[in-house]
Amino acid sequence: MAACKLRAAVSRTSLQRWAFAVIPVVGLLELAAHAIQTHSVAPSRDWDAARTYVASQAKPEDLVAFAPRWADPIGREHFGPGLATIDREARPDETRFPRALEVSIRGAHLPAFAGWRRASEQTFGSVAVTTWENPAPAQIIDDLVSLVDPQHLRVSRGDSDCNFVHGTAQSGNLGFGPTVPGDRFVCPGNGFVGASVVADLEYVPHRCIFAPPPGNAPLRLRFADVRFGHTLHGHHALYVEAERDKKGAPVTIRFTAGGSTLGTVVHRDGEGWKPFELDTSSLAGQTSELVAEITSPGGDRRLYCFEADTR
Amino acid sequence: MKLPSLRLPDRIGWRDHAIGAGLGLVYFAWLLGTVRSLGFPRDEGVYFHAGSEYARWWRSLFERGTDALQQGAIDSAFGTNHEHPALMKTLFGLSGWLFHEKWHVFSDASTAFRLPGMATAALAIWVTYLFGARAWNRRSGVVAAILFALMPRVFFHSHLACFDIPITAMWILCIYVHWRALEVRSLGWILAVGVVFGLTLETKHNAWALPLVLVPHALFVQRHAILRGLKAGRVAIPGSLVSMAILGPIVFLALWPYLWNDTLDRIGWWVEFHLHHDYYNIEFLGKNYFSAPSPRSYLPVMVVATVPTVTLLLFFVGAVDRGAVAFRRLRAWLRGLVRRPIGDVPPRDRRETDLLLALSFFAAITPFLLLSKTPIFGGTKHWMPAYPVLALYAGRGFDLAAAALGRALPGLDRRRQLATQALLFACVTFGPLAITAHAHPFGLSSYVPLIGGTAGGADLGLNRQFWGYTTQNAAEEYLNPKAPRGATVFIHDTTWDAWARMQEEGRVRADLRAVGAPGEAMFSLVQHELHMNEVDYSIWVADGTDAPVYIVEHDGVPIVSVYRRP
Repeated sequence: MAACKLRAAVSRTSLQRWAFAVIPVVGLLELAAHAIQTHSVAPSRDWDAARTYVASQAKPEDLVAFAPRWADPIGREHFGPGLATIDREARPDETRFPRALEVSIRGAHLPAFAGWRRASEQTFGSVAVTTWENPAPAQIIDDLVSLVDPQHLRVSRGDSDCNFVHGTAQSGNLGFGPTVPGDRFVCPGNGFVGASVVADLEYVPHRCIFAPPPGNAPLRLRFADVRFGHTLHGHHALYVEAERDKKGAPVTIRFTAGGSTLGTVVHRDGEGWKPFELDTSSLAGQTSELVAEITSPGGDRRLYCFEADTR
Repeated sequence: MKLPSLRLPDRIGWRDHAIGAGLGLVYFAWLLGTVRSLGFPRDEGVYFHAGSEYARWWRSLFERGTDALQQGAIDSAFGTNHEHPALMKTLFGLSGWLFHEKWHVFSDASTAFRLPGMATAALAIWVTYLFGARAWNRRSGVVAAILFALMPRVFFHSHLACFDIPITAMWILCIYVHWRALEVRSLGWILAVGVVFGLTLETKHNAWALPLVLVPHALFVQRHAILRGLKAGRVAIPGSLVSMAILGPIVFLALWPYLWNDTLDRIGWWVEFHLHHDYYNIEFLGKNYFSAPSPRSYLPVMVVATVPTVTLLLFFVGAVDRGAVAFRRLRAWLRGLVRRPIGDVPPRDRRETDLLLALSFFAAITPFLLLSKTPIFGGTKHWMPAYPVLALYAGRGFDLAAAALGRALPGLDRRRQLATQALLFACVTFGPLAITAHAHPFGLSSYVPLIGGTAGGADLGLNRQFWGYTTQNAAEEYLNPKAPRGATVFIHDTTWDAWARMQEEGRVRADLRAVGAPGEAMFSLVQHELHMNEVDYSIWVADGTDAPVYIVEHDGVPIVSVYRRP
């Protein structure tokens, strides 16, 4: 008993005496961690090997995505615009994709695939490719963003028609807003409609129909021969700097088809990339003109963008 | 032949100034050797220009005399960037004129402009050493000075012709001079307090908080004299405070000619400008902050993420030690009040060093820790005046560890004792040295190993950079060797002035033409920050591709994307 107490006292004293050793140990661990971290960067050859694999596996309807999000530029650089397409990068959401090939480093995964089934995983050095299967992929019938051309869309502002032009894109620096695409409908006075990419409140990209309401007259988009399913599924937002201060007027979009209103959705500043879904069961299986009418009581910097599909 | 002893006398004196200056000089040389690899941040371009204007005015004052004193002449020079005091910009400008234009010491004008900022970094190291050496011992001072220098963010900002390192240096100098004045109580030191306080006010507005440190400290140190005076019917204000109150404003006004006219209105504007400063974008934990309230966790998280962990551990050890001493003194004082026996009481420090350092530390960080309206867009640079004190406590922590090492290994001869202490010193400095050296020139992107380095910072959603200074890296790595002659480049967050200077100094090829929109450019740059993603997407639509042709990376983390129009 006494020996135990003595041993405990000695070891306690010894522990106290050597407690300072935590400091050099932390110093050395920090140095070692620095050496490891700076020498564990995924080399280009790993990205390129992953690219070759993904190119052999990916179907047009599959999603190709990169994780973590900050690695996205590196993924786009190595995979190129053929695999890392703007449609995949600036997707409205993941519901339409039956499968996703997620290319990741550092063991990261995108939260969007949390409910998906992991089908396989291949590693290429420091780069991993995980194949995810969507348990309930949506069947897209028509995507309105792909119909922004003079064959499928007519645009008017109030009573005036807006002409389609092949111009040059108008872009700018921080604060300019989404690029005004070269191919666009140009309205008399001001106003335009075209497919662009908007940064939402979280600075996530979304390809959408850039259609800022002028404020004093409704902007009408008439999509010809849209094939309907049971729902009209979509999202809308304003360019981040236009809505983040929460000072602008709301923007309303009303969808009508076959002479009746399918629904009206309102976007208020601060709501970000806001989803909506309208019931189109009564039109399921039919083809009809779909009219989107966009209004806002104030036209000041209402850099509004929406996307929708029938499913 | 008997060699003279290398042992230093116990008394801190000129040799210690030589040691402090030597440490500062080594750092200065390191900064000078790495300065050309750092591009030009947005603000720096403004200060280059303002500095040149201010220097022009001072030259005209000596050349043309009273004409330069007309309000029009003063305002035409000092109206540029009058939201910050003139001292450092004047030094930048005079340095540029002397060391680049006149004496051709530096071929790069920017290096000459940056020289005063680098010199203040050396000054901060010098003063930190002296403070530590005088407060505790030389070992504490040396380690404090070195650990201050080996903070990656300090190293980054030390290169720049900006105000953040200068105010850090002036802040600790002001604290030090005040502390010495209370100890020495000579007229010279008392006058020095006023002059240095004025210079600090004239460096950056952080100095507004210094009275919150110096006044209560001086009153506490001289409380007995003040109470005796009050009992005798007179008010005894410490001489250093009188000096601050009189000489401080005189020096401040004398060195800022812009305030010589409409003085009160212009001071009022200056104060208002900083009390209601615009908010800029900054990413923190994956969220973009662009207005108040600023997150309260910003300062502690950023300190842990950017100051080497071993430095913080030593700071903790040193701060706990000094806190314990202060607590024991307070307890003894309280027991004395009720006439209970007083146990082991630490010796009284008549300079009240612990109180001064604690006040200095908290005055520098409190606006960012407790006030949610304080903007945070500049990241860690805002509270850098706290870092010399942080380093001083770390120096004290090292001293305690070294003493414990000596106790743990008794009976070693002097040579072995020195060797073990050198080993301990290496253990606590090699990591910070490696991290700091590796961070350059991406000091704003770099995070410490504790959170996973640069990639760990990106995982956590911490800010990657600001001020658009990394265009130079994009030019060096891609544009200069690859771009066709006369190609147009969208320079994103880089200013026109910065681009022009980079071309003038041969950092960017002279034939490349900067443009203001991706749609006008053959090459487009994106300096990665969360809120800059929108520019990325603009380029996708303008160019019809989302694939960069090249990415400037630091430890595998994108810093700048370069797009080429197909």
